[in-house]
Amino acid sequence: MKRSIVAAATAVALLLAACGDESSDSTTTSAAEAETTVTAESMPPETTTAPETTEAAAGGTLAVPGDFDTIQAAVDAAVPGDLILIAPGTYREAVNVETDNLTIRGVDRNEVVLDGNFELDNGVRILGASGVTVENMTAMNYTRNGFFWTGVDGYRGSYLTAYRTGDYGVYSFDSINGQLDHIYAAGSPDAGVYVGECFPCNAVLSDIVSEHNGLGYSGTNSGGNLLIINSVFRNNRAGIVPNSGSYELCYPQRATTIVGNLVYSNNQPDTPAIDVALLAMGNGILSAGGVLNTIERNMVFDHDKSGIGLVPFLEEDPNDSVPTEEEWTTTCEESKMERPVDPGGAILWDSQQNRVIGNVLENNRVADLLLASAGADVSTLGNCFSGNTLATTAPNNLETLAPCDATGSGDWKDGEYDIIAWLAEVHPPSVDWQTSTLPALQPQENMPDAGTAPAHPAVDVPMTVDLDAITVPAKPA
Amino acid sequence: MLLLAVSCSNGSDSGNGASVKAHTDATSLGQPDEPIAGPQGATPQFLVECQYSHAGSDDPIVFPGQPGQSHLHAFFGNTSVDAFTTIDSLAAGGTTCDQPLDKAAYWAPALLRGPEVLTPIKSTAYYRPGQGVEPSTVQPFPAGLVMVGGNSGATGEQPLSIVAWSCGAGIERAVRPPECTEARNLRLLVTFPDCWDGVNLDSPDHHGHVAYSSQGRCPQGYPVPVVQMQFSVEYPVWGPTDGLVLASGGLTTGHADFMNGWDQEKLASEVRLCLHREVVCGVASGRASG
Repeated sequence: MKRSIVAAATAVALLLAACGDESSDSTTTSAAEAETTVTAESMPPETTTAPETTEAAAGGTLAVPGDFDTIQAAVDAAVPGDLILIAPGTYREAVNVETDNLTIRGVDRNEVVLDGNFELDNGVRILGASGVTVENMTAMNYTRNGFFWTGVDGYRGSYLTAYRTGDYGVYSFDSINGQLDHIYAAGSPDAGVYVGECFPCNAVLSDIVSEHNGLGYSGTNSGGNLLIINSVFRNNRAGIVPNSGSYELCYPQRATTIVGNLVYSNNQPDTPAIDVALLAMGNGILSAGGVLNTIERNMVFDHDKSGIGLVPFLEEDPNDSVPTEEEWTTTCEESKMERPVDPGGAILWDSQQNRVIGNVLENNRVADLLLASAGADVSTLGNCFSGNTLATTAPNNLETLAPCDATGSGDWKDGEYDIIAWLAEVHPPSVDWQTSTLPALQPQENMPDAGTAPAHPAVDVPMTVDLDAITVPAKPA
Repeated sequence: MLLLAVSCSNGSDSGNGASVKAHTDATSLGQPDEPIAGPQGATPQFLVECQYSHAGSDDPIVFPGQPGQSHLHAFFGNTSVDAFTTIDSLAAGGTTCDQPLDKAAYWAPALLRGPEVLTPIKSTAYYRPGQGVEPSTVQPFPAGLVMVGGNSGATGEQPLSIVAWSCGAGIERAVRPPECTEARNLRLLVTFPDCWDGVNLDSPDHHGHVAYSSQGRCPQGYPVPVVQMQFSVEYPVWGPTDGLVLASGGLTTGHADFMNGWDQEKLASEVRLCLHREVVCGVASGRASG
């Protein structure tokens, strides 16, 4: 779909060349932009292929503001493998990255601050450049995102703080082979951390603290070796909310592993919030139409609705039909080549074949575990629940009805839950993201040896995780 | 090229109602091969959401300097637009867009139900390569470009690939407003031309300097592929469509107008960074602000 009709494209290019003089006014760029263009054009055409690690390790160090006045100038001058090392200061920039295998690092996470001043769109945006690491800095007050990777193979965001942003704090879209670790994200109407449109994603999210966002984590149509581990999601409207939807590609959301997280008090009424965050309010971990997810050994407490909920996502204005189970193995790249089929009306994404095991749940006031559909027989959806520490489920006795790797029994009608009622509920309205009340920004942990560690592009991601070694986290004191 | 042979001398005769002034009965050459619809994410894009700004019977493209001469328009983006607006004056205006560097003027005919003007909620401008056009060849709109998408004087149905109605962000495309379910707002979608003659920033009928690509190629005489803008207007309308009418007459006169008030460097940068590099720089549907 991206590169159709080569012959036609060539013809257009020739026509362009023929009228180059006439249209030159329209393509005039600043000196800085022209320089960037040269850099981009000098790269190999297939920038999604990660160069060899040896090349990446051979880079030099570009100091900001020592060698370059701005981060952007340093990024534009850098070649793959370089380290851009940023000294403490406030940088009013929206940095765009087009060069593979850069390491962009702040010397001090709390004192290297990119400030969008409510005018600039993204703090650091990586566009189709693979292997780029961004680490040890803060981005705040951007109209869209703090840190944003799109269309890349290989990414790492480490020791990043995103605070008060118009869409997402830390955002990965249509990107694979990644790692987001040691993240603090607060004050986004959508999600503090978001991974969307990838399958298989092959990514690890670890050591995140996400609070006072519409959603702590959101992942639309993402999954496939996607791990969310050892993180804290608290005081958002809703905590961890993967969902399916045909408004973006690569549905359904599937095969995300959520293990060892501390998820609590996601009922926060005074955050900025998109519609979905309002709808999901009061839930800790909520699969909205997700399939094949593993939710295991999390500590989940103090929610107005569910601790862990497996619910449907009703899409009233869909862009495609719901894929069959046989199509769940379709990769994201394959799905880009498929033509959508108008379903002719609303579609329902049911949560199916998810496994909920060994979580500890307390004080989730509708139910610690919740399973619901909006028309389907929930007993047929293949979800299972075992070994959880809990007080309440909806329907009742869920672990007896649908144990993992065993045959269930009981009455599915006993205590069944009317999820449709959520659609009519009224929630505290969204608060302007620019002025919402947030916790004061506390000093966040720095990466080790920021000033001296060598460049570390994202060519070795994600890190290896021993899932079996992860235990249920303790409640905070 | 035959479609360009339209006289502009009677352009202000509407034929669509005594109180309605149409622009012309012109369209730009060609049309997209098929309607733009389906999930976002397969095609490179960037987008701008602009809240509704104001309404007025002004049209600085078709009736420059003639306040009150046009049918009623709903304006988005630049907050200063009236009959006296010029490309140069746009820079002094504010913007309702979520991209502060986009001070373009976007407008569409007002939608009415009987005598009641239905104030739109917002607009979304999607910027993409034309269908099948090699993304790396796409150029930004030249500074000063003005365009009209769709035919304000259409007497019959327009191609769905240029003018369509839908419910919410869904895939459905219809020549007339469909009945949308509650809370799925009616949208008017206008797809603008994506080929430029390389010389003129406007033309006597406001259509002749731009055209549509087909099979990934721009037609003869329009050698410059430019970014294709699809403009979506969202109205707080669902349920029965009885009594709906566009201020330009009937329901098949859908069109939209554009004056390039972008910060030119930012527009060129977004074209290069998002479209040439074939990445998605933003998505809109399904995640509305609460």
